[in-house]
Amino acid sequence: MSTRINIGPVHPSTHGVLHLAVDIEGDTIKDVEPHIGFLHRGVEKLVETRMYMQSPPYMEKLDYVAPMSYDEAYVAAVEAALGVEVKERAQYVRVIELELQRIASHLFFLGALCNDMGQMFTMFMWVFEDRDRVLDLLQEATGQRMFYVNMRLGGVTMDLPPDFTDNCIAFLDHLDKRITEYEKYLEKNPVFIERTKGVGILSAEDAKALGVTGPTLRASGVPYDVRSAKPYYVYGKLGFNAVKLEKGDNFARYRVRILEMRESSRLVREALSKIPDGDALGAPIRLIGPAAKNRVVTVSRELPRGECMMYMVSDPQRPYRLSIRSPCFINLYALPHMARGQRLADLFSIMGSLDLVMACVDR
Amino acid sequence: MEIDRKGLLSKLEALKGTGFDYLVKITVVDYGKNMQAVYFVRDIAKNRDETLEVNLDYKDPWLPTAIDIYPAADWYERELMEMFGIEIKGRITKRLLLEKWDGIDPPFRKSFEWNKEYRTQV
Repeated sequence: MSTRINIGPVHPSTHGVLHLAVDIEGDTIKDVEPHIGFLHRGVEKLVETRMYMQSPPYMEKLDYVAPMSYDEAYVAAVEAALGVEVKERAQYVRVIELELQRIASHLFFLGALCNDMGQMFTMFMWVFEDRDRVLDLLQEATGQRMFYVNMRLGGVTMDLPPDFTDNCIAFLDHLDKRITEYEKYLEKNPVFIERTKGVGILSAEDAKALGVTGPTLRASGVPYDVRSAKPYYVYGKLGFNAVKLEKGDNFARYRVRILEMRESSRLVREALSKIPDGDALGAPIRLIGPAAKNRVVTVSRELPRGECMMYMVSDPQRPYRLSIRSPCFINLYALPHMARGQRLADLFSIMGSLDLVMACVDR
Repeated sequence: MEIDRKGLLSKLEALKGTGFDYLVKITVVDYGKNMQAVYFVRDIAKNRDETLEVNLDYKDPWLPTAIDIYPAADWYERELMEMFGIEIKGRITKRLLLEKWDGIDPPFRKSFEWNKEYRTQV
């Protein structure tokens, strides 16, 4: 005899508006049915009515934890449709900013995950201190703290400021120390271990069959990362290696993100040491040559949450059709599979380990 | 590559047999006179991608379900049913995914009128 309980749409642990209909038997989850769409805005349709470079602000709202990554994926699709080359210095600047954005996003994940497990706001405040320093750096580099809109065709809006390298290296030194502290704090914490190790296991076969992506896929032993599989910008030159762990439980998903932050930190250092002189500024928004009609472009990018694929059919002035493969959408699809047979209380630690943003799920 | 929808499932099965074990996305483009469904599949181990394009008749748009071959197709198919009004044959779950439309034009088709007053079910 199973009981159905409804969680959400408004609930502190659902990372936005998500309704989960959960069938339980005692304390054990029999099935979970996610009901989504509360944040559906039809962005894919909306961009069909806007000029190419009017749409980046919409893209940023899809993922408010790592807005720049989505912006960059869209602008890269536009660049491919229009045949625009990105300047070399701009490629480095973009990689540096995107990796800083990834660090900010993974730090946020760490805080939110601990909140979901009941370690209320200790970790959250700690990581926000560090995340704030990333935002300070991005503010220096782009002028904004949250919605940057700093990608232009062929480059970025602002070059890096003169003292950026020193500030960034100082921050990365600080970050590396802090990550070690977090590891020490979390991986010896009995509550954290209990609620992560062996919880929400996803095997490699299931991960591939369910189509999960990003850190969730890599935690299950499939080392697919767009940055190494199809290197874009200068990732090939920076010697990027995809992280891989085998177990596929919550702990592995947390661990992958810790390792990715370290890798990002290394990538930023490397990029800062190799960045060439020159011009990084992109074309003004109004100066856009028309694109070919019905040219089909597919651009894949590794966002902090997984692989985002932009499939765009071009029109001269605006996208004819834009289809976004959102990483959170397909990761949420795997949630029922991971949650079956687990305790009800662990549902949110599993969800937290997927690092969902509901705006990204619904688009 | 472009294929007919009747041969879609056998083609997908054949691809899965040769290592393409990961479905990236299913999407549809409305070209005004016809629609085109696009299937992206991937062989992760060998890092190969394959794209299947299926042309659909505007008057009778249906696709066979790929859910038995790729379970990941589930939500993508539900999204297409809802946004493009495509019938997916062979599915058990037919509940809409994102919104509850009131039997109106599928919103992502080009024939959708922006200023018309549409109501959604509550």
